[in-house]
Amino acid sequence: MKSLDKMLVEFAQQKLATQTRRHFLMDCVSKVGGLAMAPLMFGCDTGSSAASKGLNLSQRDLNPLAPLPPPFGAKAKSIIYLHMAGAPSQLELFDFKPELIKYHNKPCPDSLLEGRKFAFIQGTPNILGPQANFSQHGESGAWISDYLPHFSKLADEVSFLKAVHTDQFNHGPAQLFMQTGSARLGRPSLGSWVTYGLGTENQNLPGFVVLTSGGKTPDAGKSVWGSGFLPSVYQGVQCRSKGDPVLYLDDPEGMSRNLKRNVIDAINTVNQEEFNAYGDPEILSRINQYEMAYRMQIEVPEVMNINDEPESIHELYGTQPGAESFANNCLLARKMVEKGVRFVQLYDWGWDTHGTDHDGSIDMGLRNKCREIDRPISALLLDLKRRGMLEDTLVVWGGEFGRTPMQENRDGKTQGFLGRDHHVDAFTMWMAGGGIKPGLTYGRTDDFGFSGIEDKVSVHDIHATILHLMGFDHEKFTYDFQGRPFRLTDVEGELINKILA
Amino acid sequence: MNNLKIAGFLTLAFVIAILGFLIFGSEKEVDYSTQIKPILNKHCITCHGGVKKNGGFSVLFEEEAFAITESGHAAIIPGDPNGSELIKRLTASDPELRMPYEKEPLSKDEIDLLKTWIKQGAKWGKHWAYQTVQKPKEIEGKLTAGISPEGNVTASNSIDFFVSQKLEEQELEFSPEENYLKLIRRASLDITGLPPTQKITEAYSSKKISYEEAVDQMLAASTYGEKWATWWLDMARYADTKGYERDVNRTMWPYRDWVIRAFNKDMPYDEFTIEQLAGDLLPNPTQDQLTATAFHRNTMNNDEGGTQDEEFRVAAVLDRVSTTYEVWQSTTMACVQCHSHTYDPIRHEEFYQSAAFFNNSRDEDTHDEEPRLRFFSPDEKTEIASITKWVKENEGENAAKAREDFLTYLEPKYPSHSAVDFVNATLLDSKWLGIEGNGSAYLRNINTQGSDQLLMEYSAGLDGSKMTIRNGGPEGELLASFPINSTGQIIRPIPFKEIKGTVDLYLEIENPNAKPDQTAARFIWFAFVPKLEGENKSGYAAIQKSWEAKLNFRGTKLPILIENPDYMTRETRVFERGNWMILGDKVQPGTPKELNPWKEEWPNNRLGFAYWLTDKENPLTSRTLVNRVWDQLMGRGIVSTLEDMGTQSDPPSHPELLDYLAWKTMNEYDWSIKSLIREIVTSKTYKQSSVISTELFTKDPQNKYYARGPRFRLSAEQVRDQALAVAGLLSDKMYGPGVMPAQPDGIWQTVYNGGTWTESTGEDAHRRGVYTFLKRTSPYPSFLSFDAGSREICLSRRLVTNTPLQALVTLNDPVYLEAAYFLSEDMLAHGDSNPEKAISYGYQKLILAPISKPKLAALEKLHTEASAQYKKNPAELNSFFGWKDRTITAEQASMTVVANAMLNLDEFLTKP
Repeated sequence: MKSLDKMLVEFAQQKLATQTRRHFLMDCVSKVGGLAMAPLMFGCDTGSSAASKGLNLSQRDLNPLAPLPPPFGAKAKSIIYLHMAGAPSQLELFDFKPELIKYHNKPCPDSLLEGRKFAFIQGTPNILGPQANFSQHGESGAWISDYLPHFSKLADEVSFLKAVHTDQFNHGPAQLFMQTGSARLGRPSLGSWVTYGLGTENQNLPGFVVLTSGGKTPDAGKSVWGSGFLPSVYQGVQCRSKGDPVLYLDDPEGMSRNLKRNVIDAINTVNQEEFNAYGDPEILSRINQYEMAYRMQIEVPEVMNINDEPESIHELYGTQPGAESFANNCLLARKMVEKGVRFVQLYDWGWDTHGTDHDGSIDMGLRNKCREIDRPISALLLDLKRRGMLEDTLVVWGGEFGRTPMQENRDGKTQGFLGRDHHVDAFTMWMAGGGIKPGLTYGRTDDFGFSGIEDKVSVHDIHATILHLMGFDHEKFTYDFQGRPFRLTDVEGELINKILA
Repeated sequence: MNNLKIAGFLTLAFVIAILGFLIFGSEKEVDYSTQIKPILNKHCITCHGGVKKNGGFSVLFEEEAFAITESGHAAIIPGDPNGSELIKRLTASDPELRMPYEKEPLSKDEIDLLKTWIKQGAKWGKHWAYQTVQKPKEIEGKLTAGISPEGNVTASNSIDFFVSQKLEEQELEFSPEENYLKLIRRASLDITGLPPTQKITEAYSSKKISYEEAVDQMLAASTYGEKWATWWLDMARYADTKGYERDVNRTMWPYRDWVIRAFNKDMPYDEFTIEQLAGDLLPNPTQDQLTATAFHRNTMNNDEGGTQDEEFRVAAVLDRVSTTYEVWQSTTMACVQCHSHTYDPIRHEEFYQSAAFFNNSRDEDTHDEEPRLRFFSPDEKTEIASITKWVKENEGENAAKAREDFLTYLEPKYPSHSAVDFVNATLLDSKWLGIEGNGSAYLRNINTQGSDQLLMEYSAGLDGSKMTIRNGGPEGELLASFPINSTGQIIRPIPFKEIKGTVDLYLEIENPNAKPDQTAARFIWFAFVPKLEGENKSGYAAIQKSWEAKLNFRGTKLPILIENPDYMTRETRVFERGNWMILGDKVQPGTPKELNPWKEEWPNNRLGFAYWLTDKENPLTSRTLVNRVWDQLMGRGIVSTLEDMGTQSDPPSHPELLDYLAWKTMNEYDWSIKSLIREIVTSKTYKQSSVISTELFTKDPQNKYYARGPRFRLSAEQVRDQALAVAGLLSDKMYGPGVMPAQPDGIWQTVYNGGTWTESTGEDAHRRGVYTFLKRTSPYPSFLSFDAGSREICLSRRLVTNTPLQALVTLNDPVYLEAAYFLSEDMLAHGDSNPEKAISYGYQKLILAPISKPKLAALEKLHTEASAQYKKNPAELNSFFGWKDRTITAEQASMTVVANAMLNLDEFLTKP
């Protein structure tokens, strides 16, 4: 507890002890950079094998995750995307609406309900006033509720998007839309697009890592990190806190590291012989993959192991080694990005606050969920900042939609707890870090927090902006499939210019 | 025709030719499809076609291209290039006028080509893919079989003829034939998905059977159906769960088994198509034909709370249209759903005309997935025969048929989710009608068919409710009145007043004991099936009892397609911009104009649509089939974009070969897929060695011209099946519910779903991959690593990747460790205590070729290293590889380690 509070104080005093960017880079060359060189060198090895055969192969032929330079100037090198699966209530966290207090427990005006469909709300529900206390924070004066006491001190670090809208009001399709740009299945996820476009810096770790907490995977299943029509090598790799961190990573009992090295050597020697006879470059690629697998077996457990982190880090994040928690995942995300992972996707499950039970209540369950993320998110931003990594790491936070200003009346009945239904018209997300203007609030909703009335932002706009920050023109970043070029933003998406630094 | 007439024709032809020469000069006729359409698509169509028609000009459809534009003139005037606005605008010097606007101008060659085309009359053409497949010209005589002076095989069958033509053009040659045993392994992996059986290998290597005979034996094996079903099931999006958020289990395996059986009996592809798309509409459909229609019940079903069943019913219908076109026509309909196809000449309305064929089935995204085909036991079938006989005697043939159909799939019926106008009633979990102690609701537009009996499926948690059903409203005529007491979910017959026509039913429940908000009963569906006649005859009670028991059948039920009866017909409307809530014009069922014409004799429903699809005039069905079978065997389609065969697809590498195979499959093979496969795998093209010389790789890196044999990594299922097979572990048990072989803990974490992965035991732990339970939100993880899909949507092509995660699977997944152990046992048994001999034996067993010295040396070295380690640290042998119940010696462990490495060799994971 102390360490985070202390750091927040230091931060507030603008006396954050940060390493300079230069220092960080120097560190990286000796630590990460050194390791990252290994595959390239091996690549040269198989490359020379190919050259001896007169085969003209690109780095990508041998390794589909080899890093590529972004087509345009990139502001960020990596992304940490924090998805609160179930959809957190913007009306308890960021979008302060005093008007709702006035109307609390009164029937919702018909004008808001006309021609609308909701997932569970039927007839005329009552308005539900905010269940949290709001105040303004930082120089930017952003409204943040007392559900997020630590995070509120970082108000000046992030850019809030207050009028995000989507068109899907069920979890599965909405998560797919948020993560793949389409509510239909079969499209590549954001992380797949980015790793397809940029590859990854560290070949000993997956380029696109998925970490889940809250006990469940997202409603839409593994498709939210699927590669769609892109080759499956670009799909997200789930790294787990329990069991093998990556499936089948651990050697079986009785297989020492030395012996595994011998096994890989034997396989690759035979494969090299096979290449000499058959000349198929795929064999060289396979030799590369086995080397990578071997190194991954070392490096993944290393990066997934937080036992050896200093006590100050555990205090900062509130992490407990061995647990499957959002806090642990935030720390892991930082470690992975530090090691050169391109895209780290976190899913935290349990934000669907309908008011059907205690955990799903706006006043109690949501407050508990906020407690689980408040410290880790704040720690993550601070930790990235002091390591000089925030400037080229983009952090995105949000759910798949928002929640209604009305109290849910599922099956036409009053719920036992206070809850809100799914809401697509307006909700809040925030971004921070690489290329984002800090301390900005963009977009405004009406007095009920029902609809955006200023600077509305669509899911496609968010994707366009994320791709822009990674160095892509979202209209030109395409993949040919079914006889036409596909893009993440389909035929839509506009850059949110005003939040760019 | 007499000689004079012939002379006359010849003269006429000559005159036309001369005239043509005078008019057009010596220019060769420009071909629209291959020369003009690509230019228009590349430069013009984004602004002038489909969604956009800038200036009122579009080059998508013929009539649009020659129509008057906003300027008041047509942009293309046939015969007059210089007078055509199109040419003027391409060559204008004013940047405001010059097209393409603000983009690179067209090249001089392109403009010249357009000019010539207009000069020659601007003849619009059909793309090759939309032209009917023609009988190929006679080619047999041109074939020369034999060995070239360099020892290379020369053309031997018709495939080779077409391939050799292209090879000559590219100055390439066939490679020599692959090593004969490796070749038999290639063919076997392709045909059965498994290495050749020992019997075939022995007979073939001792020359007792020829290659062709070996191929025939493989095609006759039941393992053939299992292999090719996997290919089909990807397109059919077959899975064992419903998909979406809750992703609960669904019983689909009888359909998977139908597919395997259909392949094994080589069901002709037209029949195969018709039964899957419209088996229910065939006269007196058999259980198998009904089973086949489950093809289109593989669409996902959304149980997520708060979802509208109608939204996802519509989503399923649209998926059926898109999937049908992708599977049979290599045509992407997803774009046309929202707007006319920008590139292919298929219109927005035509998508919905096709949708109209599929919009009339009974399924409505209900939780129970009705209608479902009920698989009765033989005893139950006998009972049903008695009921049918009874009805036939007392009510006649039609009534007997209707009752039998109702018992078979419980249709027609009204799902309760269509209830409206609730008072103290609601749609529970947005799925089922729930009525409270003093509540009511309406079912509107109900046709009771004059039935004197209502059947309803419901459950109730409360005793002492009184339910009434009235005609039109609370004051309406009383139609039924009955008590409801607490019960689990049952189907119950209730006497009902006979009424004619379409009515609104008012449903009401009274229960003075119900607490406020307490649901008195939950309804699933309502159906109107008359009482059995013959009440006074002896035996009635037994028949009635038997009928009620059969209604509540609890066995295997498979979701199938059943067409709406006339009085339930849905109308289909265009969705504006693809949005199901914005309805446009009403459309009638119809097929795209650009494709083959509709024949009058076809019924105007799904069955007619299936006839249209399998008509020999349909240009795409046969081409699509042969292209995909070719891809399965050769690793690349003749049109490489398997999912798309149209103006935007890759041009075919061998157009004549594609059409030859398409024609022959339809006309000579009568749609036999086995015959098609046989022809391909017995061609010299297929049998070539897959060695890639540098020259070959430089000239043709993708093997587009087939100057070498196909060499590709095996599919996810094959990788696992093969490892189990060589270890002697693979079960040959066929059919039945999906099995759950070992997978790591914690893979299934789906929300709101009690489903668990219950590890299969006995031989079910080692069944072929096609039987592995497939959960859409969480497929079997090692298959996912090897590029298998999640089967949520149609998948025409698996992209093959090469990743470290795959290496981890075959190195460390317990399935492969187990296989390594059993393989090593066999190796040791054949090794006479000599590791060299054991390894050589094992390699021969896996690869079907003797091991080379350097390879043997590498594996022997590994064996020595492993032996040394286990001798030094015998403790490592305790619970070796995690096995608690197996005592392992150092010798066994060392050989297991070698076998583990061998199961990871590139040549083992690859089709040679």
